[in-house]
Amino acid sequence: MSQASPPALPRLVANLRALPRAFWETAFRSGRPTTDRTRSAFVFGNVFYHLHSTRVHRWSLRWPTTWGLGLITFWSFMLTVVTGILLMFYYMPYPEGAYESMKDIHFVVPTGRFVRNLHRWACNLMVVAVFLHMARVFYTAAYRKPREFNWVAGILLMALTLGLAFTGYLLPWDQLAYWAITIGANIAQSPREVTDALGVTHIFDPGGLQKLLLLGSEEVGKEALLRFYLLHIMILPLILVALLAVHFWRIRKDGGLARPDDADQRLGPPLPGTYPVFTEQPKKTYQLAAIVRGRTPQVNQGPENTLPTMPHVFYAEVGVLMFTIFICVLLAVFWDAPLKELANPQIPENPAKAPWYFLGLQELVSFSAFMGGIGIPTLSVIALALIPYLDRERDGTGLWLGGPGGVSLFWGSVAFGLAAVIGIEAFAIQFGWLRGWWPDVPQLLITSINPGTVLVLIYFLYSVWVVRRYNSTRAGAIAVFTCFLCGFIVLTIIGTYLRGPNWEFYWSQANWPVH
Amino acid sequence: MRLNKHLLLWSSLGSLVLLVWAAYQENALQEWRVIQTDYRGRLATGDEAGFSIQLRQVVVPSQGAADRCVSCHLGMAPGVEAISGHPLFGPHADVPHDPMELGCTSCHGGQGRATVSADAHGDVDHWPEPMLPARFASAGCGTCHTHLAIPNIDQVNRQVALLERHDCLACHRLDGRGGTFRPGGAAGMEGPDLSRVGLSGFRPDWYEDHLAEHRAAREGAWRHSFAEVPEAPRDAIEQYLRTRIGAPGLVDAKALFHSLGCRGCHSVGGVGGDDGPDLTAEGLLDPARLDFTHVPGEHTVENWLAEHFRSPAKVVPGSQMPVLGLREEQIDTLNFYLLSLRRRTSAEAEWPMDRVRAERLDEREFSTDPDTLYQTFCAACHGPDGEGMRYPGMAAFPAVGNAEFLAVASDDFLRQNIRHGRPGRRMPAWGDKEGGLRPEEIEAIIGHLRSLGGGARPAADGRPARWVDGDLDLGGSLFTRHCAGCHDKAGQGLEGPALANPNLLRSATDTYLFETIRRGRSGTSMPAFSRPSTLRPALTDAEIESLVAFLRTWEVNR
Repeated sequence: MSQASPPALPRLVANLRALPRAFWETAFRSGRPTTDRTRSAFVFGNVFYHLHSTRVHRWSLRWPTTWGLGLITFWSFMLTVVTGILLMFYYMPYPEGAYESMKDIHFVVPTGRFVRNLHRWACNLMVVAVFLHMARVFYTAAYRKPREFNWVAGILLMALTLGLAFTGYLLPWDQLAYWAITIGANIAQSPREVTDALGVTHIFDPGGLQKLLLLGSEEVGKEALLRFYLLHIMILPLILVALLAVHFWRIRKDGGLARPDDADQRLGPPLPGTYPVFTEQPKKTYQLAAIVRGRTPQVNQGPENTLPTMPHVFYAEVGVLMFTIFICVLLAVFWDAPLKELANPQIPENPAKAPWYFLGLQELVSFSAFMGGIGIPTLSVIALALIPYLDRERDGTGLWLGGPGGVSLFWGSVAFGLAAVIGIEAFAIQFGWLRGWWPDVPQLLITSINPGTVLVLIYFLYSVWVVRRYNSTRAGAIAVFTCFLCGFIVLTIIGTYLRGPNWEFYWSQANWPVH
Repeated sequence: MRLNKHLLLWSSLGSLVLLVWAAYQENALQEWRVIQTDYRGRLATGDEAGFSIQLRQVVVPSQGAADRCVSCHLGMAPGVEAISGHPLFGPHADVPHDPMELGCTSCHGGQGRATVSADAHGDVDHWPEPMLPARFASAGCGTCHTHLAIPNIDQVNRQVALLERHDCLACHRLDGRGGTFRPGGAAGMEGPDLSRVGLSGFRPDWYEDHLAEHRAAREGAWRHSFAEVPEAPRDAIEQYLRTRIGAPGLVDAKALFHSLGCRGCHSVGGVGGDDGPDLTAEGLLDPARLDFTHVPGEHTVENWLAEHFRSPAKVVPGSQMPVLGLREEQIDTLNFYLLSLRRRTSAEAEWPMDRVRAERLDEREFSTDPDTLYQTFCAACHGPDGEGMRYPGMAAFPAVGNAEFLAVASDDFLRQNIRHGRPGRRMPAWGDKEGGLRPEEIEAIIGHLRSLGGGARPAADGRPARWVDGDLDLGGSLFTRHCAGCHDKAGQGLEGPALANPNLLRSATDTYLFETIRRGRSGTSMPAFSRPSTLRPALTDAEIESLVAFLRTWEVNR
């Protein structure tokens, strides 16, 4: 023990006085992020931030690069996690208790109604944002090498998002939920349409198996409720979080956000007040691994035009977080999440509609259950996943609608996509389809030739034509993606607003017959 | 970064404002808080401290009730002192049940879990069971009870008149009336309230007891307000008292239902016809599932039912229900009864005795006296006094109380027709069908028909059931000339009844057919063919026999 050290008691007092500062210093070892070194240290010394690189290119911080859509998706997911955990304190996942606990959450639990509204709106925002995020990544051609796999991970995340939203839909156990899930389960059973037509259902029944796996029973009942609850609160969120980690990790490993090769010229000189210049060499050679792999865009370029993550990315991320919260709170304060009558298996809803994001599929299901429910969506997801492997051009990466065709091709595809889907819908609504003309037509023929498959074929042929016309795979990708997006939107709108009892066409809900 | 900072600043401020607003709304603006604050303001200083502003509820697990109604209707909340006279803070009306034992929604309907008045009263979308209107409150009894042996409204009115004529209300209170005298003088005991005497029962020797008191008394109410009561009115009074169960309007409403012949077409609790919809759960109709296109006024079940009574086919296209021509107060009374048809499935151990007796012991909800039986099942078509009915757009219904009909119709003929009905026509087979009439009830109705016809019955007929032997060709041409206009060429019935009906031809003797043609039916379109009219000469007996023989050709298996 050193002779010079003062007595213990004054030292204790001094330690106490120094406590706040010492606590702060131990929590954030790097000190205040005011220099480049401390800014970097803040990022890699922080468990929540260490997935970020310490500096980020100015291109990535422009609003039009991403419009914050991925962040909105992530934050709205976090919002559903937080509100979902709160709801779990009161929700009872069995048929006798579920609806009553919803009523209690709505009427009695302090802030229960608000929390439930937030959960619902954050979920819907997440679904919308995940679609828009995908569209953004597509239209800026950000899926290209080396980001192909992350695009695939994103597709899986989108599927998981829909799965989470769908499994949550049943939990209120009201008429809306009950019959939407009944529809959903019947869609899962739709391979029977094919096996029935082939007459092999009794030995090979994947549709029935799918429905049984989903519901745990022939009907939506307590088994289904428990299953959906477990999927909703545990299984799907865990998978989603794991995949999310992969998704984020790959952003970093794939070199940050995609940007055009001439990003520096496009950006121009940095704005005053930013931190454009490296003032110190970083002490750590933390990029060595990346250099060895030869992937990082830093390899052959200086660190120019990069900004420190702290505070630039920090403000962007927190700003988007608060924006997401603001949108959800605004919706939650003024619009209640729906809750209809107690689920009653005796009284079918007519029309029974799936959640809105599946109404485009339900519209196709009305033509052919198998094609609408399984065939076309599976094909679409596979096609989406294959895009980065089929379009390996470099032209236009990181730019909105960059590359051959560009904006005019986009609008042309929009026009074609809309015209095709509206045309074929109008035709089917006005004149009916094969079954109406020849009642004895075999089901397999309808399964293979129906408005849905015809539409897919038209879009496909159009895209092949575009590939030839522009001599570019990217142009073909823009054509097919845009067409499918238009088809999805139009079919969803028709399914949501223009379909009434017995899935008949009505211009307005006011024209629906009563009963 | 400036943009992002702005985004952060304004989004945060916006969220903060919204959250503060939401918190204020939840903590200060809630209806029940405002109401409870009002209540606390009315309390005497000192009592305020004992009253905390909080959600209150009545929880009755056996009824599945967690009713927060008492958060606003504070006078009925457990442990809260009522302020009588106030619409919200007043106590619950005096009813046979303790409201705390059943909860609020078991009787009144509505949404007990809600804490906002519109939701709680059920006047919102997606709540299938809105509250019963206050004037129909005792319709809520129908959630558990099925009141038994209710006679028709005429009898109820007669019974009330007897009660008043014998001055029972001088000493007894009944549904809030009467009870002005004390039989033992000012210091004496009050006459017991009879409003719920049907629940508690009464002593079988009440009459002897009263009579003894009357004879012993020299003055006062025992002397002047009581006198000997003959046995017949005494029975009627006792029957009336047995229906006094603390739900006055409801029993009278059910009595009206048993006067209009509704069960002729509609089944309730499995008893009645099946021409019209089963009404067993009519009181649980979900207003959201009714078509209000042609119903004026608010979208409530009672408005829908009322308009439906006024003109059934307008409200329900294709309805076969006739326009009954009911008075508005009758419609209101029928609504009262229909809204009480809300029997809920619950554990049998929870059932009240009357429901057990109705559903397990097959006791009747209607009184099985001949008059009530006839009016319950037959009056809608055949008229309250058997005079027959004629509704717009429908063939006339036969006058079964017609003396000339009864003078030719044997008991056996009546029995066969009630029991087996008229296939293909609207008359159901009451003896054969499930939910129909029991043999003794059919006999009672036959007896009632006889009394409607002034006791008319056919003279003993020595002849066999089939004795006519006429000229078929002559009969056929006579039929075409004189009968086909009303009874249709093929006997399928037009204005007049269908004669080619197997059950009619099987149950009708030749004498019946012969005499009906000969004598006709006064008061109906059927003339007496033995007398000449301006259009045709009188038919001879031989000609009538030929007609009967012709009718017999339609009998499939003679």
